[in-house]
Formats: sequence, structure tokens, C-alpha cells
Amino acid sequence: MGTMGLALPWKARIASVPRQRETRVEPSERFAGGPKPAVVDAMTEDAALAAGCRAGNLQTYERLYSIHGARMRNLARNLLGNLVDAEDAVQETFLKVQRSIAGFRGQSSFITWTYRILINTCYDARRSRLRKKEVANDDSGETPRPEPRAPGAHPSLRMALERALATLTKHQRDVFLLYEVEGFRHAEIAGMLEITETASKNTLFQAKKNLRLILEPPRSSAAEAR
Amino acid sequence: MMNVTCHDRDRIFQDGTPGEWAALEAHSANCPVCAEELRAWKSLSVAAQEMRDYRESPAFWPRIERALAEEAVRKTQRAGRSGWLSFFPRIPLGWQTAVAGAFVLVLTISAGWIYLHPPDRIVESDKTLLKSTALENVERAEAVYVRAIDKLAEETRPQLENPATPLLANYHEKLVVLDSAIADLRVQAGRNPSNAQLRHQLLAMYQEKQHTLEEVLEAKKQ
Repeated sequence: MGTMGLALPWKARIASVPRQRETRVEPSERFAGGPKPAVVDAMTEDAALAAGCRAGNLQTYERLYSIHGARMRNLARNLLGNLVDAEDAVQETFLKVQRSIAGFRGQSSFITWTYRILINTCYDARRSRLRKKEVANDDSGETPRPEPRAPGAHPSLRMALERALATLTKHQRDVFLLYEVEGFRHAEIAGMLEITETASKNTLFQAKKNLRLILEPPRSSAAEAR
Repeated sequence: MMNVTCHDRDRIFQDGTPGEWAALEAHSANCPVCAEELRAWKSLSVAAQEMRDYRESPAFWPRIERALAEEAVRKTQRAGRSGWLSFFPRIPLGWQTAVAGAFVLVLTISAGWIYLHPPDRIVESDKTLLKSTALENVERAEAVYVRAIDKLAEETRPQLENPATPLLANYHEKLVVLDSAIADLRVQAGRNPSNAQLRHQLLAMYQEKQHTLEEVLEAKKQ
């Protein structure tokens, strides 16, 4: 069976992975009795960032970078497959924010809007890269180049995940990366991808189901394959 | 604690409440199939951490900052180059269309009015009113233009205050002379506000100053 090569011994691998946060379980998104203080702080911060960027204040852009730069770079790298293109995309995103902040009307949060620009910029970059490859008649495909990883990372696990993610639909991949890797909430993802919150939840469910099938086929299927 | 069955598992994975997740965990203690599914499901979330690398890149922000600053300068230059018409505020396209439509309507009505009422009927006081309105418009546009040039001057101030090359020193001297000429002309224009010749000279001086400042910025880039 073709997928068997990607099957992962989860328990063995996961035990040595340093956990940076708890496993995401959906109910944390549910609030009762109005917004919590942390949410209010985030809203204030968001409004302050939008106002500062609109005023052309470079320090505000630096603050935006200090809060979201690493996350934006990581997301872009996972969407584009290499750090060089990812950094170009993040820089282009900052320039696009600067150029179009006057048109930002606050229908979504400023950060959601910024990430939407980033995601679109990454897809534009990918399209233009594909066009260039077609022109150059290069049939090397979209295989991402290996990148230096954080200490303690498992290159094989990452590569297996990357390969499995490449088989998902664009939407499933986006939602998985935004939710599971970057830690956004479904409400935020809905704003970024311009879908409903329910669609985001459904897409994540389908993405994880497909990944599970690819990376770790159910035992009954494995037995059948034998 | 609520009761869940194996059939509820996918629904809980998709959109379960905290209570339902806790119930599924409890159910999994006695159900090997659900225990295996739950473990695999959570494992995917943990494995996703492998795709997260938030290491600092010290050279990256300075690169973005430079690009932002260059873009800001280009924006200012574009604003300066657009000249006397740049005082129009940046309004959305819909409003621009509406304003343009209204302008065409006013123009049509005015043309019709002039056709029906020849100029000799316009009384002397109306002529005075038109003159003062035109002057007001010129002064307002001039003020906006001067502000744009001042912004440009602010950008070049560090280079001009401590000129690093003879070329920059020359630009500095030229700007001092231009500022002095502008100040003289402004005094004269203040005494005789309706003198169109003085206004033209003043505009030429401002344009010269703008071009000189742009050259300073170009020199800075090189």
C-alpha cells in the first residue's frame, strides 16, 4: 500500500517532541457572558495597531512585527516551502498593509486582515513560481527544499507531515496550518479565509481525517494490506 | 457526567463541548477503538508542532523597515509630483464618481445659465465675489503644496544639516537661497494677493525647491 511508507509510530516520536502548548481541543473557543478581559485587551491592541499603521508610524509596524512576525514567517514558509520565498512574502505583506491601510474599514480585525493579505500573497507567489517553472520547462515539481530546523525537531516527522499535507485540498491545508500549527481560533480562520466558522471546523475535521488515513492507516486497513 | 457512545466520536472531534470531550475521554477508558482514535487525533495536533519554528531572524525586521521607509518616501514624492491638484483628499472611488457626476451637472447648468443670461448682466459685486473665491482656492492649494514640500524637506534634513559630500553641501546652499527667495515673494504676494505674476513666480520657486529636495533624496539612495 502506497501510504504505508508514511505511517508514523506516533507514541515513540511524540514522547520526545517538546510540547509548546496543549493539544488544541475546540471547546476553548466558547465564551460565556461576554468578552473576557484578555479578549478586550486583544481588541484594544488590534485597534491601536490599525491606528498606528494608518498614521504611517514605523514603530507600530515594528510592534506588529514583534508580535506576529515569527508566526507570519512560519505560516508563509509552510505555505511556500522555503524560507527565502516566505520572507519575501512577509515583506510584501507589510508593504501591502502600508499601501492599503487607508482602505481598511474594520469589517474584520486588523490582524485577521493582515493574515488574509499574507495568505493571498503566498498564493500569488506560488502561482508566479509555477508560471516561471512552466516557462523554464522545469519539471522538478513543487518539492520544497529542506530548511534548517529548530533544535530538537524531527525532520522525518516534519517531512512526512509536509508530504501528507501536500495531498490535501488547498482549503484543508490552510485550515490545518492555521489551526493546528499557528494556533488560531476558528473564528479568526473564518475571517482570514472568508469562510464560515462551521466551514472551518468541518474542513479541519476532514483534513485531520485524511491526514490520519495517510500517516497512520487504521489497524484494520493495515491488516488487510498484509 | 454525560454519556457518549462511539457514534458521537466524530461529532465531538468536529465541534465538541468541553463536557463532551471529557465524556469521550471517560468512554475511551473502556473502549479500545475510541481510545485509539482519540490518541491518533490528538497525536496529529502534537505532530503539527513540528511545523512550527519561531526562531528569531535578526536581519529580517531591518530589511522590512527599510522597505517600508522607501515606500513612504516614494509615496511622499508621488504626492509632491501631483502638484496643485494634490490637495484633493483621497476619497473612495464611489464618492469620486458621485463628485465627478455632480461637477458635470453643475457645469451643464452653469453653461445653460450663461447661454440664457449673457455676461453683461452679471453685476459688479458678483465679479468681486468670483475673484475672491478663486484667490481662496489658490491660497488653499498653495498651503497644501507647501506642506507636502515641507514633509519632503523633513526627510532630507539629516543629510542637509550635516552634508557628507560636496554635492549635498551645494544642494544645501541652493535650498537656503531658494527659501530666502520664497520668503521675499511671499511677503510681496501678501501685499498684493491678486497679482498673478507673483503667484506664478512663487510656484516656480516651490517647484524648484521640490526638484532639489528630490535630487537630495536620490543622492541619499546612491
